[in-house]
Amino acid sequence: MNCEKCQDLISDFLDGALSHEDQKTLNAHLGECLECADVRNDLQSIVGFCRTQRGEYVSPPNEKALWQRIRNMVESGAGSVAVATAPARQKSWSNWVGRSWELSFGQLAAAAAAIVLVVSLSTIVGLRRIQGGDTAKSGGYIGPANLSLAAASVHERVAKQQQLISYWNERVEFNKARWSPQMRETFDRNLAVIDQTVNDSMNSLTQNPHDEVSEEMLNAALNEKLSLLKEFAEL
Amino acid sequence: MRILPARFKVPCLRSCPALVVFAALLVCGALGARSVDAQQRLSKRYPTGKNVHITLKNISGTITVESWNRDEIKLTATFDSPKANIAPRQDGDVLSVDMMADNRGRSDVGDVNFNLQVPVNSSVDLQTKRGQITVTNIRGKLVSAHVSLEGDIVLNGISANEVYAQNTIGNIHFDGEFASGGTYRFQSSKGDITIRIPADSAFNLDASAPNKKIALNEFWNNGFRSLGDGRKLQGDVVDGRSRVYVTNFQGSITFLRR
Repeated sequence: MNCEKCQDLISDFLDGALSHEDQKTLNAHLGECLECADVRNDLQSIVGFCRTQRGEYVSPPNEKALWQRIRNMVESGAGSVAVATAPARQKSWSNWVGRSWELSFGQLAAAAAAIVLVVSLSTIVGLRRIQGGDTAKSGGYIGPANLSLAAASVHERVAKQQQLISYWNERVEFNKARWSPQMRETFDRNLAVIDQTVNDSMNSLTQNPHDEVSEEMLNAALNEKLSLLKEFAEL
Repeated sequence: MRILPARFKVPCLRSCPALVVFAALLVCGALGARSVDAQQRLSKRYPTGKNVHITLKNISGTITVESWNRDEIKLTATFDSPKANIAPRQDGDVLSVDMMADNRGRSDVGDVNFNLQVPVNSSVDLQTKRGQITVTNIRGKLVSAHVSLEGDIVLNGISANEVYAQNTIGNIHFDGEFASGGTYRFQSSKGDITIRIPADSAFNLDASAPNKKIALNEFWNNGFRSLGDGRKLQGDVVDGRSRVYVTNFQGSITFLRR
């Protein structure tokens, strides 16, 4: 089996839709070809993430426009196939969603990128809203109700960021087995240091929700963690 | 067929245990020597102009860069794993080494330690995931040193318009000058950041260290704005002609006069 054929079959393989014989041939190829095994791992990670997170994303500000962009991305990825099946695209929204598990790897990757975009946009919008609110409040008296509201906002924001972090963390975990023991130890030790900063900042913000320095450190540490996970997901 | 008389066969070894020990030592020595030889070395020279740009992306291992008075780059790499593929690419005055790209799909390639000698006006963009980065006597436009995880960063004798130094665990030491209009960023999660600059340096500073001290020493003035009980300091030293950002999550920040 060559790589092209193998990558065509991976999607069906993950859905359990392959014949026993095809599975056997595919497994043999995956055992020999690191590149195809990586594609399988990536796809498995994306599918796993989509399955666990399905239906739990926060709505973006203009949902219709966003879905239209996602649709355009997926269709442009499909290329000539999309042209051949143009009449089918006229079908209802539910049909489109219904055939999501028949997408090619490129289409799935585009969809996953779009999901990440949705979560990022929501985080950015949330952050701006919170920062705007903070600026407005900073001059006046902060009552107990406002304190708890601000604390809740911080936790909400962190929870959103954690969704992204979870996604990249899963990808890192897939790859970790290939790293040297030293690299694994170093990575874990360094991530623990960043987590410590996140926890310290969270604790400070729980006591004083308008502590600018802690908020800045929290954002910096979360961004640092995210960028580290993204970097090591490629290793 | 008997070659030696019978009396020579066993008595020889029995009576000379020292010989056996000596032989064993010889074998061990040979094995030891072999493991030293297992470390491989790559050394190449690249003729260049004076304004060189070097991009080096390492996976694991140290990077040492120092200037010399020649219009050429000398790159030396030492590594243990025969699987490591090191393929420097030169395009005019630009030299690139990307260990990630060159070793994609391979399993762990171990530590690769790079040593570069470059023209003094070179710009250097250096990255490693773990390992120390040392840059000495460089006066190019850019000096960037990024250790994704653990490793000290030592920048000595630096005069560049842009300097970036970032690690997660490890100290950062900068000894150099801030150029007018330049930008300087230093960030660590756990380690101490020390910046040693001339007494007449002029810069705008934004420094945050939520857990340890920010010591500006001679560079402190009353114009500084202190936030969060001194965990963050903002202000100008002289006319603030260059921008300096220093962030240290768990370590200290110290400014020293040269």
